[in-house]
Amino acid sequence: MSGNDINRRDFLKFMGLGGAGAVTLSGCDMPTTVTLEEGKEEVVSYLAPEEYVIPGIGVWYASTCQQCPSGCGVHGRVREGRVLKLEGNPDSPVNAGVLCQMGQASLQGHYNPDRITKPMVRKGGNLTEVSWEEAIELVNSKVGAANGKVAMLTGAMSGHQAELMDTYLAKIGGKDHFVYETINNAVAEAVNAEMFGSAQPRYNLDKAGAVLSFGADFLATWVSPMHFSQQYAKFRTGNRGVLIAVEPNMSLTGANADMWVPAKPGTEGVIALGVANVLISKKMVDGSVLPVDALATISQYGVDKVTAETGVGGDVLVRIATYLKERSPSLVLAGASAQSNTGGSQVVAAVNALNILLGNVGKTIGAEDAFPVKSLAPRRGSSAALAAFAKGADAGDYEVAFIYNTNPLYSAPAGLELNGKLAKVGLKVALSMFPDETTLAADVVLPLASPYEDWGTQVPGYLPSEGGLNVQQPLMRPLYSTVKGLGDVLLVLAKAAGAEELNQYADFYAYLQAGFAAMPASIKGGMSDAEFWSKSRQKGFVAVANSQGSLNVKVGDLAQVADKAGSDFPMHLAPAARAGMYDGRNANLPWLQEQPDPITKVFWDSWAELHPSTAAKLGVKEGDFIRVESAQGSLEVQVYVYKGVHPDVVAVPMGRGHDEYGRFASREKGVNPLKLIGGDVDAKSGELALYSTKVRVSKTGRSAEMPRLGGSESQVGRRLVSTVSADVYRRTEGGGNNVA
Amino acid sequence: MSLKNVLENWSDYRKGHEQGGHHDYEHMWVMAVDLDKCTGCNACSVACYAENNLAVVGKERMMKGQGMHWLRVERYWDEPQIGGDDGQFQSAGGSFLPMMCQHCNAATCEPVCPVAATYHTPDGLNAQVYNRCIGSRYCSNNCPYRLRYFNFFSYYEESWPEPLNQQLNPDLSVRDKGVMEKCTFCVQRIRTAKDTARREGRAVQDGDAVTACAQTCPTQAIVFGDMLDKESRVSKIWAKQQVELGKTKQVKANPELRGYRILEGLNTDPCIMYLDRVREV
Repeated sequence: MSGNDINRRDFLKFMGLGGAGAVTLSGCDMPTTVTLEEGKEEVVSYLAPEEYVIPGIGVWYASTCQQCPSGCGVHGRVREGRVLKLEGNPDSPVNAGVLCQMGQASLQGHYNPDRITKPMVRKGGNLTEVSWEEAIELVNSKVGAANGKVAMLTGAMSGHQAELMDTYLAKIGGKDHFVYETINNAVAEAVNAEMFGSAQPRYNLDKAGAVLSFGADFLATWVSPMHFSQQYAKFRTGNRGVLIAVEPNMSLTGANADMWVPAKPGTEGVIALGVANVLISKKMVDGSVLPVDALATISQYGVDKVTAETGVGGDVLVRIATYLKERSPSLVLAGASAQSNTGGSQVVAAVNALNILLGNVGKTIGAEDAFPVKSLAPRRGSSAALAAFAKGADAGDYEVAFIYNTNPLYSAPAGLELNGKLAKVGLKVALSMFPDETTLAADVVLPLASPYEDWGTQVPGYLPSEGGLNVQQPLMRPLYSTVKGLGDVLLVLAKAAGAEELNQYADFYAYLQAGFAAMPASIKGGMSDAEFWSKSRQKGFVAVANSQGSLNVKVGDLAQVADKAGSDFPMHLAPAARAGMYDGRNANLPWLQEQPDPITKVFWDSWAELHPSTAAKLGVKEGDFIRVESAQGSLEVQVYVYKGVHPDVVAVPMGRGHDEYGRFASREKGVNPLKLIGGDVDAKSGELALYSTKVRVSKTGRSAEMPRLGGSESQVGRRLVSTVSADVYRRTEGGGNNVA
Repeated sequence: MSLKNVLENWSDYRKGHEQGGHHDYEHMWVMAVDLDKCTGCNACSVACYAENNLAVVGKERMMKGQGMHWLRVERYWDEPQIGGDDGQFQSAGGSFLPMMCQHCNAATCEPVCPVAATYHTPDGLNAQVYNRCIGSRYCSNNCPYRLRYFNFFSYYEESWPEPLNQQLNPDLSVRDKGVMEKCTFCVQRIRTAKDTARREGRAVQDGDAVTACAQTCPTQAIVFGDMLDKESRVSKIWAKQQVELGKTKQVKANPELRGYRILEGLNTDPCIMYLDRVREV
């Protein structure tokens, strides 16, 4: 090409210019009149990808995490038809882009090797694979003959699936939908409804200068951890709030506290009233905001009495009171260890009274926003629901029971004796993804699509401001053609039960689409149906306008219930909830099994936490096995010794110790402390008193290396995690100085 | 290097990075981790497993220290800088420390590799070339932070039983036995960000490349970015904390500022700055 400046690259450029390419090739016996553009619609590649799909490029779709009831929005990265990674949805009012370990690991539930892929029916004692038609026919015939003696037992639910479930239940004459969650806030919800007129008031940690948490692990398991984690980050910047934790053993929230105070479960109310007493007697607050009866009760909880009952010294009470007052507004919260007791309602009442006394109501505690469409509202879980179901099952009230998204045979307290009671239900239908304890005890197993293969909507149990209806949409095709979405199964069942109004919907997708079209104009915001449907799926949620009301304060009796003394079983059992295993539902996710627990750093196994003084009395050290016995049974578990647990408490976190639930949950078993829990309930709400079980602890003589992330518990003077005082921080970065 | 030379220039020993070296960096990826915001929740670590095809090795191998957690969260009970904790109980919580490869600019792991499998990229990353690695483990022995992880076995054989393998990120490889691996600052995400920027004919902007850990952090305690971009969030935090790269000893106008680098006295010049945990005392 001497004298000609066309190089290879330019040549290819010309080639790429379609018609120009044809001209360039005119010497090669090609027709010169046809361009590459002409007739292209008749050329269809066998490898035609779907719209937007570019091999090698990930596309992000919005959906909703189902790993716990708090309803975080997610974006799933989809590449070549597979979902590979989840990230928080940056626009979500719940989690604003972040995600916890359970949300990150929920992909391993979707791709889990132990998923159930075929419907099964119990034949001759064994679950046998059958066709969907046969399974559904069996369910329909039994439901048809049950005369309304049908119950639904589910985990927390909301949105269009819950609405459809109601329709179905009403059609078959059933009345009972039991919503059961082991990790719940039910006692506080009952007391809040009574005292504030709002079951789940809105908390503003970010506006508080001091937070006093009685076992409310808001960074890990309590109510809406990702939402509160972000509030916590704001709480710690600027003038930096003070976090005080009072609990039987250290939670993740406690592990981040500036001040950590050990307390026996059930005595938190006494401590709260002791703080109230200090605030009033030292004239730090005006007591007249509380009624005379309440003030009279508080006056009985002087420092000496509180110290005698709880072991918490007067200096500690004064320090807490001073923080709460000086850093006003503050916020006082009651979590599981405080409310899941025989006197739990009274503990929450005392905590709420402390909030009222400190003037926090209306500042850091506001009224909840209710989602305007009532049929989609959240059905929050409780443990009383399981007790009610067990009672009905025992009385022979149910010919058929549907069980969805809950595993009560694992998580029910031993005191409930659920196994025998559940067996009295004629036909147990499990709508499930995994072969867990309850599913394997069912008579019919209907395999469900994973949350990332299925359609749905959720209203979070805790609705943050600007929160609303979350959209759950499939991030990929189902891995198995033989699984069905929950909504689709319910639709088939409801149609068979004669719900003629549903015949117009070919599938749950159509039902959902119609449901969106039927939303009130106030939610649609002037969009057309098609536009609203498309926008909602794109964004991943439907926001509703904030209609913050005010709380009506009413204070009742604050007197605390004394703990039952028992000499046979001298110690308290704390079956603590931890993010990760949660209530046991995550034990089949290997990423979470391999994560060391934040506090003890134990992986793949259970442990018992003991205070050094208790361990010394028993003559045990880290790694030794102890026997923990209650009136219900016993278990043997390795000990972790540290100073973050009350000496009268042995803490064995829940979540492990599955009999079934696939290879990862049963490979390294661990123990299930829920099998030591008796039947005691909080007298007022009927909620299970999870923290009231007493145990006896003894040495077994066995010992083994602790499965724990190794290394030193001490920094040995090196500057690894360095610490400075809050005074220094406020001086250098406080107020507007903060950049991080 | 003769003995005479070493003895005569002892005070300069391992301080070459102060002269800036001969690199012409395109980017200098760094992090700032605010330990006061870090709650120790493990979200970063699980996000790392999801993003980087980290193998699950099981209980026994974890106990032998073979866990492949590129990002581990350490926890200490004492706080020596504010007097420790000698009471009967913990008077405050614990101290959490997310540890990932510190991407040292004077990395002790790099010069000892007999095959140059670990080297410094023009992005300021401490990179590991898997198919060059012969598994001598010298680098791991020489890392003062213990943040390099060796594939003693073919962990992949048991880590992803079907269909778990379908989740594997195709943007990076699954490592086989005999290979050293470690945190890459999510180099595949950096590359995607650079490719996207080039395709769009612009420079890489702050926020284009975010590591999986920083993205998911529930309190946004981890900030990642380019130190050479003076407008990036992370370089502003470093500047505000008066911590500089390429220094063996930080001279701060305000010594109370919280920024520090771990084991800085070893002259490794790490690219991760931590901010002190704060406690009410």
